[in-house]
Amino acid sequence: MIRAEAITKLFHDKKRGEIVAVNKLSFACKSGMILGVLGLNGAGKTTALRILATLLKPSSGTAFINNIDVVKYPDKAKAQIGFISSDTGLYRRLTPREIVGYFGELYGISRQESAIRLKEYSEILGMDDFLDTKVDKLSTGQKQKVSITRTMLHNPPILIMDEPTAGLDIVASAHIVELIRRAKSQNRAIIFSTHIMHEAQRLCDEILIIHNGMATRNGTIEKLRMETGIEDLDQIFLDSVGDLD
Amino acid sequence: MSKVWTIYRKELLDILRDRRTIISMVVIPIVLFPAMTIGFSALVSMQLKKSQAEIQKISVDGAENFPELLDRLEKAKELEVAPSTDYRLAITQKKLSAAIVIPDSADLKIQSGDSAEIDVYFDAAEVKSEFAKDKVLKILSEFADSIIAKRLETLGAKPEMLRPLPIKSHNIASEEKMSGFVLAIFLPYMIIILTMIGATYPAIDLTAGEKERGTLETILASPASRFDIAAGKFLTIFTASIITALLSVTSLTATIGLGIASFAEMGQSPIAFRMQPLAFVVLVILMIPVSCLFSSVLMTISLFAKSYKEAQSYITPAMFVVILPAMVSFIPGVELDFKLSIVPIVNVSLVAKEALMGNFRWGYLVSVFLSTALLASIAVFVAKRQFEREEVLFRI
Repeated sequence: MIRAEAITKLFHDKKRGEIVAVNKLSFACKSGMILGVLGLNGAGKTTALRILATLLKPSSGTAFINNIDVVKYPDKAKAQIGFISSDTGLYRRLTPREIVGYFGELYGISRQESAIRLKEYSEILGMDDFLDTKVDKLSTGQKQKVSITRTMLHNPPILIMDEPTAGLDIVASAHIVELIRRAKSQNRAIIFSTHIMHEAQRLCDEILIIHNGMATRNGTIEKLRMETGIEDLDQIFLDSVGDLD
Repeated sequence: MSKVWTIYRKELLDILRDRRTIISMVVIPIVLFPAMTIGFSALVSMQLKKSQAEIQKISVDGAENFPELLDRLEKAKELEVAPSTDYRLAITQKKLSAAIVIPDSADLKIQSGDSAEIDVYFDAAEVKSEFAKDKVLKILSEFADSIIAKRLETLGAKPEMLRPLPIKSHNIASEEKMSGFVLAIFLPYMIIILTMIGATYPAIDLTAGEKERGTLETILASPASRFDIAAGKFLTIFTASIITALLSVTSLTATIGLGIASFAEMGQSPIAFRMQPLAFVVLVILMIPVSCLFSSVLMTISLFAKSYKEAQSYITPAMFVVILPAMVSFIPGVELDFKLSIVPIVNVSLVAKEALMGNFRWGYLVSVFLSTALLASIAVFVAKRQFEREEVLFRI
């Protein structure tokens, strides 16, 4: 279960002064549920997700990952989270096997257990051929498979995914979508941000629309349709964003 | 601590697969110095030998004024007396190496007990011309000595009358000191700079490089704490730096040793190479806080940058901040005192110079070690703090 309680994040910029990236944002995502976060570029999605993943500290408010306070116990919270974003890269001079072994150690998983899990994911995602090839030589799709394995290695009950399909081709995107579906069936709580409306529409149980750091809509697609009287999610999004402009 | 160890091992494996790191950490200290020092000294001595062995052409203007002198010059094996109308031009055009001008009735003046001024023309910017001048001066001086001897004989006096205090100077510097002296000027600077270069690539690669490749965010999202990450990275950069320092000290010591030995063989230098093992130990111990300092400072600077290129542009000016004080070992007469022993880099350069010369002033050594260690500790602390700053990690 993920719970954000009035998280606010302020940044200080020399030229622009104080910037409110996230403004008293509250939402929740239960186990076995997918929450889609939608917003324009610069709306505060990445900042909000980075706070949940303990990469950033909120200026005020806090969030709980399976009841662990991310501000007070970031290291404990991280152990519960699988985090993937378009910015989370892989070590190009290491092989997938070495990378998985490394993160396995960091998560306190034994070598044998890491090897077993790598084998499992390798079978599911078809990675046998390149497990000992340096990441540098892998295609984008192959890298994405390794990233997924890295994210899921410690069986995290919480998945935080920041635009995980951005810049990926259709096959690589399909892997991510498949991963999200599988994770849901395994009763994990999943939160992911995207720009692709139909992806959100197909996958998400609930939608959170963020604009200027604030939540403008939050609920099931049905609820959003009722509130706005609009059928299409694209239009609901534009309406939610336009309302404040 | 186990996470620090995990990160350290992974980072080390990672940088050891980086060509740039291997080049700066291993290849440069091992290959470049022997190639540079031995290659250069071999070239120089080859040129020297060639120039010395070569027969140099000289002209003698007014030879008829002193046939006996001309005879001596013509008999000299390494010289060839050639005619010349414009000796100045001929020397400039390298047709002649030197020219001698004998004044009118020089032989008569000498016979009558008078003196005759001999002019020697040469080009000091040309090695060959310089050699020719030395040979000519030697012949002239020997000739003058023979004239003096003859005159004294006529007067019934001994040559010792003119040299009542024959002076013979004795160099009491030990072999260590002499060999160290040559090394001492050059080595501290090179070691300091190489230690910095050894830390540079890993520092950039493991911070700004990781930001650029997105792997920093990946590790920050793992259960490793910021301290674990900072410590693991710092230890990796430090390892690269200290390995570079060790290889540099060893390689340079051996190389310069061989270089000096080869000079000695050629009769260019009376110094047989030897360096006290204690100097080597002192240098290595000194380089520990220096490597710490460079590693943490370079890590902090690079962490601030968003990309590899940006980090390089920050580090270039930082290089100069180190190069200038490191060059203090080149300046003659700058002696280590208490004030200088706490000036960063300058102190290391000077104390390393002394140690190489076989001079161990333990009080200053401790002072240099402690002040550098203190500075390194501050730098490590600052580096750790940078890893806790979101605006640095994410450049928001």
